[in-house]
Amino acid sequence: MKITLPDKIIIERKIQPSVIRDILKSLDINPSSVIVAKNGNIVPDDVIIEDADELKIIAFAHGG
Amino acid sequence: MDNPNLCGICGKPAAVRLDNPQRRLCADHFMKDAEERVFKAIDAENLINDGDRVLVGLSGGKDSTALILILSEYVKSHPDVKLIAVTIDEGIAEYREDTIKAAERLVEHTGVEHKVISFTELFGDTLDRLVADRKNLACSICGVLRRRSLTEAARRYSADRIATGHNLDDEAQSVLMNMLRGDRPSLIQDTSLGYEGHFVPRIKPLAVLSEKEIVTYIMLKGFYTPLPECPYATTALRMDARKIIGILEEKYPGTKLNIVKFRNGIREHVPCMPKGKPGTCRICGELTSGDVCMVCKVLNRDR
Repeated sequence: MKITLPDKIIIERKIQPSVIRDILKSLDINPSSVIVAKNGNIVPDDVIIEDADELKIIAFAHGG
Repeated sequence: MDNPNLCGICGKPAAVRLDNPQRRLCADHFMKDAEERVFKAIDAENLINDGDRVLVGLSGGKDSTALILILSEYVKSHPDVKLIAVTIDEGIAEYREDTIKAAERLVEHTGVEHKVISFTELFGDTLDRLVADRKNLACSICGVLRRRSLTEAARRYSADRIATGHNLDDEAQSVLMNMLRGDRPSLIQDTSLGYEGHFVPRIKPLAVLSEKEIVTYIMLKGFYTPLPECPYATTALRMDARKIIGILEEKYPGTKLNIVKFRNGIREHVPCMPKGKPGTCRICGELTSGDVCMVCKVLNRDR
């Protein structure tokens, strides 16, 4: 699965079907501090993602 | 695992899951839900009254982007309310230029009247030059000058309210920071009340939305633009407060809201404004609790 990290770095991971928030935790990312997009669509972090999907993790800058 | 991720209203795929009450919403219904929560807070707390001229602090960053979009929706059902967007140009090289462009795109989209006021015009120089020999104080100096800039703008454009984009995260972080600093006056001060004849009430209509909800809202609206972080953003205490509250929120959903509720409860029982008429600065004549106001102090006018 292709994962775009908050710093825009793209990594590849082989995964079994997993809940997104578990993937975030395995990457040491607090789910409440990011927005996630599955295959380009914003989704809640308890959605299940599979190896063929793409996950984008978006962090928001402080301030604004 | 039985987890149908569908909007509880229309059955389309959900974009968000919200707590209190628990619900899943598609993009359209989430945007409506967020707007309605802000409208409800405005009406319940009388943040805006019919006939008000509301100055909207529009930096062009994520929070003020959501603020102008949501207030533009609000005035559709409150045609007696007039919005005027004001962007403060502090004079921060390679940062403010981009956000001013974003602000200009927003006012073009919303049709809200827009003014830009600069630190150079009000205080004689850019922030970059004002803090050149004291960069470690840049954030607090900028905060003092920005607040004065908005007050001056409110006076200039005859505004009845100053609306800023502070969100639930900002508010919860401020409560914790005030506690950690032992600063009770700042904890209980409620600037939404104003002070007749002295300063314009400040309102925070987005304080019911989390930072995550705000960014989700502007992304779904198509107005999310990743912008550079302010080069002076080094407020270590706020970053720590943000991290701690983030961890607690993840473990105990509702933490941010409870922190703000706790502060509001204290405000109900403790007088939040000094009794009697406030003093005025002996140098500039603005409202102050001391002899010289903070603006004159940070500009070294008292030396």
